[in-house]
Amino acid sequence: MNLLIHMTRQLANAIGLLLAVLILNFCLIHLAPGDPALVIAGEMGGASAEIIAALRVKYGLDQSLIHQLWTYLAKVATGDFGYSYYFNEPVVKLIAHRIPATLYLVISALLLSIVVGTLLGVISARRPNGWFSQSVTVISLAGYAAPVFWTGLMLLLLFGSVWPILPVNGMSDVARPKTGFAHLLDVGQHLILPSITLALVFIAQYSRLARVNMIDALTADYVRTARAKGLPEYVVIGKHALRNTLIPIVTVAGLQFGHLFAGAVLVETVFSWPGMGRLVFESILRRDYPTLLAVLFFSAVLVMAANIITDLVYRLVDPRIRSGAR
Amino acid sequence: MSTSEAPILRDATALPARPAVSPFATMLRQFGRSPAGVAGAVVLLILILVTLFGPSLYGIDPLDIAGMPFTPPGADAWLGTDYLGRDILAGLIHGGRATLTVGGTAALITIAIGVTVGALSGFFGGAIDTALVKLTEFFQILPPLLFAMVLVTLFGQTLTTITVAIGVVSWPTAARLTRAEFLRLRNLDFVKASRAAGAGNGHLILRVVLPNALPPIIVSATLAIGVAILFEGGLSFLGLGDPNTMSWGLMIGQNRNYVLDSWWTVTFPGAAIFVAVLAISLIGDGINDAINPRLRKRG
Repeated sequence: MNLLIHMTRQLANAIGLLLAVLILNFCLIHLAPGDPALVIAGEMGGASAEIIAALRVKYGLDQSLIHQLWTYLAKVATGDFGYSYYFNEPVVKLIAHRIPATLYLVISALLLSIVVGTLLGVISARRPNGWFSQSVTVISLAGYAAPVFWTGLMLLLLFGSVWPILPVNGMSDVARPKTGFAHLLDVGQHLILPSITLALVFIAQYSRLARVNMIDALTADYVRTARAKGLPEYVVIGKHALRNTLIPIVTVAGLQFGHLFAGAVLVETVFSWPGMGRLVFESILRRDYPTLLAVLFFSAVLVMAANIITDLVYRLVDPRIRSGAR
Repeated sequence: MSTSEAPILRDATALPARPAVSPFATMLRQFGRSPAGVAGAVVLLILILVTLFGPSLYGIDPLDIAGMPFTPPGADAWLGTDYLGRDILAGLIHGGRATLTVGGTAALITIAIGVTVGALSGFFGGAIDTALVKLTEFFQILPPLLFAMVLVTLFGQTLTTITVAIGVVSWPTAARLTRAEFLRLRNLDFVKASRAAGAGNGHLILRVVLPNALPPIIVSATLAIGVAILFEGGLSFLGLGDPNTMSWGLMIGQNRNYVLDSWWTVTFPGAAIFVAVLAISLIGDGINDAINPRLRKRG
């Protein structure tokens, strides 16, 4: 019951914050240098003075700001985020079309980084000063410092010209379109390099986090008890210590969804992956403001959703919080 | 009786601002014992010196056409030329100045906003805290790099806009950290003593609590420089750099379409960013170890 109240409160909070993002979007457009009517006219490829005046009336730019804000929010409530003149499509349709590709990339990178990061951290925690641990530390420092777009370009160089065994461009083989399972396999192959590139940054962070937490867990009383009971080492680590190592990683991973998304913008640009990130790049090039602002809003929705899911998972995984909530 | 008490109380106010042994001296000594931290500091110093004095020693202008486009590294141009025939080494030397300046300044903005919000929030609590926590939460749901892209696209591609945009989007981490430190410190005895001695809120925040909250803030500030450099690179990579100022990110962004034919055009500037950020995070780790002896023992 308490969980229900908690979730309702979370949801209300989320709606409030998203409303604030919409107001921010509105303010940004009006604060930006240049008359919005001229901007729209520019997007259309130039217009005469009469047409600009007509645009001003059509978009309500002759009304008061509060009135305009209200009109904007009312339009958004009906799912109207404006029209992209460059792509010649409603912005919502454009984004809906691109979301799946981004989610494939982001979720596979997320899973990859959590699994590999935890594994590296746990192994290196066994011998904190051993050679494996030292090399994981070096790799994680390097992974953190390397710009994600540069890592991507280096992998693209490696697999694009030096050792061409993996596709480096797009989401599927356009020249030889496939169907069914072969298509899935094709997409999976195209996904390998982008998701590894994106995951590397986070593997670096999670392996560090897992290492510190695992070292802490291995000295904890409950691990000593488990060992004293004579449980085999893989049960002690795999069941007792790992659980307490995973909780902070899952929490951080959930909170970092925004960074993951921003990283996807860069990675998608490197590998021409046709997701929302690539859309951001294209709309920056074309100065397509409606699309850009709508992407900002929808990325906030995704971050919000990730936060709520993390909170829920956290509550289900951590018995202390669960009993506290009941 | 009352006359002898007054100076003691005044001492209580002054104590945290002037401790017997400066914590920074201790910190510096500890930092000196971290080989990785010292190595990072040396590398960063070399990078700064190169960007300061390099341009006058290496006479080629980074925006001039110095040779044939796509000249590979060799005798004609040590690190090759880019798609327009501009010298890559000159770009690295000159571009470092912009990249490091943007990194440092943006980190300062980040810390200034973050510490102000966090300090007010943690110190006063109540309605101020609630409002500022909401504000922080709001900024946290916007993916920072994406938000910075929107700001730079809307307000123009100048070095100033880029710096401010990076600062404006990245402060929440510093704010949360500062708030936590202020919450922890504000009810400790030495703060209560200063308050009882009649210190005002301004004095308490700036002279009593803040100096004690500084160590983790310094670590966060150091790491913020690295993040800002990565952001500048990311923005320039997407074509949102200042086209009139050479920077490492701009070199990558302008040459990335030719990467398969000329590996040197993007490899070297990327390596420069990598080395700079690595040096900065080593320094951050070194400082962190110096102020957290517990972490050091864990190896």
